Amino acid sequence: MRSIRMAMVILWLTLTLTVALGSSVLKNKVQILERRLTSINTNIQKDIESIHVLKAEWSHYNTPERLRTLAQNQLALENAKPEQIINYSALQFNYEDSHTSNSRVNHKGLTTLVKAVKR
Amino acid sequence: MGFKVKFAKNNNGYCYLPGQEIKIPRSALLRKGYMTESDNILTCRFRTTLALCGFIFLYALLCLRVTYVCLGKGVNIDTAIANEQIADDEVIHFKNPVKRADILDRNGEIIATSLPTVNLYANTKKIRNASDVAEKLNLIFPEISYEDFLKKLQRRGAFIYLKRNLSPAQQMQVNNLGIPGLEFEDCEKRIYPHKNLFAHVLGNTNIDNVGISGIEKNMDERLTTSTKPLYLSLDLGIQNTIRDALVEGVKQFHAEGAAAILMEAKTGQVIALTSVPDFDPNENLKVEDRAMFNFATKGVYEAGSVFKVFNTALCLESGKVKITDRFDTSKPVYFGKAKVTDPHGSHKMLTPEDILVESSNIGSTLEILKVGKEFQRKFLQSIHMDKELTAFELPETARPLFLSKQRWSNHTMATISYGYGISTTPLHIISAFSAVINGGIYHEPSLVYKKEHEGQRVVSVKTSENMRTLLRAVVTRGTGRRANVDGYQVMGKTGTADKLENGHYNHKKSISTFVSGFPESDPQYTLIVVMDDPKASKETYGYTTAGWNAVPITRNIITAIAPQLNVKADFDIEKQKSIVNAAYKK
Repeated sequence: MRSIRMAMVILWLTLTLTVALGSSVLKNKVQILERRLTSINTNIQKDIESIHVLKAEWSHYNTPERLRTLAQNQLALENAKPEQIINYSALQFNYEDSHTSNSRVNHKGLTTLVKAVKR
Repeated sequence: MGFKVKFAKNNNGYCYLPGQEIKIPRSALLRKGYMTESDNILTCRFRTTLALCGFIFLYALLCLRVTYVCLGKGVNIDTAIANEQIADDEVIHFKNPVKRADILDRNGEIIATSLPTVNLYANTKKIRNASDVAEKLNLIFPEISYEDFLKKLQRRGAFIYLKRNLSPAQQMQVNNLGIPGLEFEDCEKRIYPHKNLFAHVLGNTNIDNVGISGIEKNMDERLTTSTKPLYLSLDLGIQNTIRDALVEGVKQFHAEGAAAILMEAKTGQVIALTSVPDFDPNENLKVEDRAMFNFATKGVYEAGSVFKVFNTALCLESGKVKITDRFDTSKPVYFGKAKVTDPHGSHKMLTPEDILVESSNIGSTLEILKVGKEFQRKFLQSIHMDKELTAFELPETARPLFLSKQRWSNHTMATISYGYGISTTPLHIISAFSAVINGGIYHEPSLVYKKEHEGQRVVSVKTSENMRTLLRAVVTRGTGRRANVDGYQVMGKTGTADKLENGHYNHKKSISTFVSGFPESDPQYTLIVVMDDPKASKETYGYTTAGWNAVPITRNIITAIAPQLNVKADFDIEKQKSIVNAAYKK
């Protein structure tokens, strides 16, 4: 009887100690994770704020007026004129076919046209 | 008794001492079919043992779980999120730090946003040497004088604003002073990245970030209760093109101002709305009243011959005027002493098409005389010419000057037929014009993207079709010739009216209007351009009528925006082939 009682006490003590130790380790780990989480949250919040400011800045740098000035200075492009927008049927090759079949011949026609327009 | 009692030597055996309780096994009694009472102590022991085992089992389980988690094999958050084991309310949703929602155009471009900043305030109870602090602050903020700072710092108070909306650099400089009593308050500042471009549409906010005009005022609640951006139907690129053309036009014709609205003909959605002069809403400077005035939505004026569009539409819709009818415009029409004449003096038989092409006042009068004032009044009411467009999302709208039934005489009926005696805003005109050409459905104008409006029929499909043909003729051979952009089948109507000043017409000043739509075969867009008091020049051969100012501006605008809007140009296929062939040959 005594040995059983002893065994029971040891079992209970072992279990209690294990739970206590485990809880302590767990609490410590949770605290570390919580600190990490807070830090991550703060960083995310800061990043959201930075992205918001950057978006405003992006919008400021992309005003049509500024882009036009840059385009005029840096690119040889102009506004599309109505007569430059043409029907497929006005092309010298079948655009629909060239678009689907990847035929070299048809693409050659398209390349020629693009070059001609660029000139 | 019917069963044997075994005697044992001891409690475990068969012998019982005298007086000792004789224990008969329950199983023996049960075997013989006797009912027995349960032994309470035994039951209690049994249950205690059972509970103990249960507890031990649970405790062991807990131990195992704790050990397992401690070893780092607990819940994997990533997997839990992926398997949706974590409830939505447990996941942190990060909010935008700014409280007032952004305003975007239809393509998602930011046109108004807020930036987090700080305000500098003083707790003067903590400040010891006010003059020293004022001197130091003056070095950081030279735009505020030393005296101003000193005056504020000498006041007793725990919260006295010194400077609003500091830049991060300024905040750091103040922080580096290390003066107790100088503190910061978090706030936000409204920013309009495109400056003047949307000034009249967006409006402005006050220093407390509360909307005081434009969309900012009208949608203040929406912008402050939700951080989701507000999408407007406006298009940044198109708005810029139109504003540029207007600014150029005002400069070229030395006009007092100008306004333009581009609308989707079939929905009433406004794609561009501008009025010049305008202002930069980022600057809190005092601007002139004229620059603050949104002529496009609030400018109530007599539009002149533009009203002949509505007159012809209502006459055709009544069924009393046919497209083939002819009207003798050789003589003036008299209403008592008043007479209606044609400034150009056509003196011939005109069809409704000719009346529009030649912009004949006499012709319009003769048409409406056949229909009557009741129908005219009712029709104008159906296209909202009698009421303020309150559903429009700008607070700066105006009520048209629409005469009462008692004052609606025959002479009034005649003058209204060619645009005098009724004053409306450009917004009213463009909305009604869209209805006349889009197949006959009136849609309330709107600035909020994809806001649905059912619309109401105001003219039949047939009348609308006829009107498109007539309005196309105005551009091909009438006063709108200079707006004929190849390929886009532009249709429209000009109007020039003397300016009403202090109740009298000033014949030296005029307001010219050109309202147009394109393409004729499938009208998608309508555009109104209004020039306020354009001046004659050598280029206009001394004329100030719409055909010489508003019409060429419209041409420039349509030429630039039609390709941007992906409107299919209707060129002759042979002509196109020749263009392509020419390109190949090069």
